[in-house]
Amino acid sequence: MRVWQRWLPAAVVPLALAAATLTASLQAGAAVTLPEKSAAEVLAMIGTSDVRALSGTLEQHSELGLPELPRTGPTAVPGAASVLELLTGSRTARVYLDGPDKARLQLMDQLAERDVVLNGRELWLYNSADNSAAHAKLPVTKLPGAPGSKPARPAMPTPEELAQHLLAAIDPGTEVTVGQPSRVAGRSAYHLVLDPRSSETLVDSVAIDVDSETGLPLGVELRARGQAEPAFKLAFTELSLAVSDAGLFSFVPPPGATVKELASPAKPAAPPMPGTKRADPAMPPLPELPGGPAAGGITVSGSGWDTVIGLPPGTAAPGTDPLLAQATQAVPGGRAVSTALATVLLLDDGRVYAGLVPLERLQSAAMTR
Amino acid sequence: MASELTVLFRRLRTWAMLLALAAIPILIAAAVKLTSRPATPGRGPLFLDRITQNGLFVAVTALVVSVPLFLPLTVGVVAGDTIAGEASLGTLRYLLLAPAGRVRLLLVKYTGAVVFCAAATATVTTAGALAGVALFPVGPVTLLSGDTIDVGESVVRSLLIAAYITVSLLGLSAIGLMISTFTDVPVGAMAATVVLSVVSQVLDNLPQLDWLHPWLFSHYWLGFADLLRQPISWTSFGDNALLQAGYIAVCGAVAYGKFSTKDVLS
Repeated sequence: MRVWQRWLPAAVVPLALAAATLTASLQAGAAVTLPEKSAAEVLAMIGTSDVRALSGTLEQHSELGLPELPRTGPTAVPGAASVLELLTGSRTARVYLDGPDKARLQLMDQLAERDVVLNGRELWLYNSADNSAAHAKLPVTKLPGAPGSKPARPAMPTPEELAQHLLAAIDPGTEVTVGQPSRVAGRSAYHLVLDPRSSETLVDSVAIDVDSETGLPLGVELRARGQAEPAFKLAFTELSLAVSDAGLFSFVPPPGATVKELASPAKPAAPPMPGTKRADPAMPPLPELPGGPAAGGITVSGSGWDTVIGLPPGTAAPGTDPLLAQATQAVPGGRAVSTALATVLLLDDGRVYAGLVPLERLQSAAMTR
Repeated sequence: MASELTVLFRRLRTWAMLLALAAIPILIAAAVKLTSRPATPGRGPLFLDRITQNGLFVAVTALVVSVPLFLPLTVGVVAGDTIAGEASLGTLRYLLLAPAGRVRLLLVKYTGAVVFCAAATATVTTAGALAGVALFPVGPVTLLSGDTIDVGESVVRSLLIAAYITVSLLGLSAIGLMISTFTDVPVGAMAATVVLSVVSQVLDNLPQLDWLHPWLFSHYWLGFADLLRQPISWTSFGDNALLQAGYIAVCGAVAYGKFSTKDVLS
């Protein structure tokens, strides 16, 4: 054998591997053919979706242009589950649903896990990093089974909840189209695209993948103007509609865990995870409907995607929270958080302006007041 | 093959490395036992605070501690020594005089390194389990998900974790074997292998390089935590195995190319 023949495998094997990887990724993105449907029909599919039980893996990725929180090293916050964390980087979670009153969400961190378990009225939160659990007894909810009455809103919203929230914001300012069908979590899905007609907003488009069989939203993707990568992405990577093992939903705090009893919340809201501070006020708001008369000094200007919400003086004290000070930048008259999708302006007199618009629009809204 | 393993395990160096690995869980267990101060939850290596309640956690803690450095270090020494060690001793020539062929020699050498990977992880796990049982109470084990499993199932999980880490180290062994064919200085091959494993882990921690992360052989090293969830998440096990197989294929092919064309002078 010649010398080059002996080196042949060393050249062929990497090439073959590269080819295999490429074909695998091409197959994943291969076009799917589905019967044509209008945007309204796809929307109706979501509305009539009657998936009661599922188990799956969710992947979420944010690319908002915020600095990433340290997850390892001396500055890492152990078990930090703040809303702020959802805004940077990516994470994986597993969800299990069985009917309206049994749910489990497992947020998978490296070498740790945070769990939210709901079984009937029993709500358990567990954090493996410090072995702490919290328990709450939920108030009896009206109409079990009605969509949206899911009592616990886990720290990471499911695509279902997000899609419903976004669809509520549809008004004449939005163009709704159905794009090329795609494949999400191994299922064929309709690709619903919401395009803001306004050119003022930072949001470029919102895309929702809807399962062609069940109408279950499989993924949500928010794109920002002037950014190639999606600013926010949440999608199933694995999904099974089989009923999960009932034992998954019965949670007993492990021996040795510190258990905290939480006061039952007055209204179903996202419960803070154990060991975390309050949610950061700088969380970008989801698109709000143009509100009616402003209550409590809250001003609303603009409409649809351009809405700017102004909060009265005394809402925020810029510079008190070191984490906040780190995430914000100084602008004339206050501090601002600029992300790819939303902007929050914190004025020195405590007024807060927020919207899915560039900073200049917030500043002009603050001026006109 | 059998003679290769006998040579490997008759070496004083191999036993010294296995003993050092076994010392890690024993040290951890003794340190936790001797300090009166209870460990703060959430500080230090994973599960350190739980050891006092359940001795079975010693093995897992020891594995978490040894995966980033100690295991790659020992595996690097064994894998880097495979070909270069024979070459520097001047015995490679005689090995190739036998009609076995160079491919077979490579395979035998790699198998030896793989057996060492398994022995190394098994040593840490066994020593950890023994030290834990000897010094601390033993009871049902709490998983990351907050569910508890009984002792029998926890042993199964420990074995699964040991298997996972063994698989994780296969890629590194292949890299060591490949480097070993390029040099006659075994220390150089060992050092290069260990340095590569550290570099790979450093790169894995840089968020700016996240496109590269799934391709680093150390990317899934700490993924064995997925075996401690309820239900077990097999995704990382599969991804890890696939990635390591890729490294074995590429490094094996390069090692074959180099070794079969090499002029063996010593």
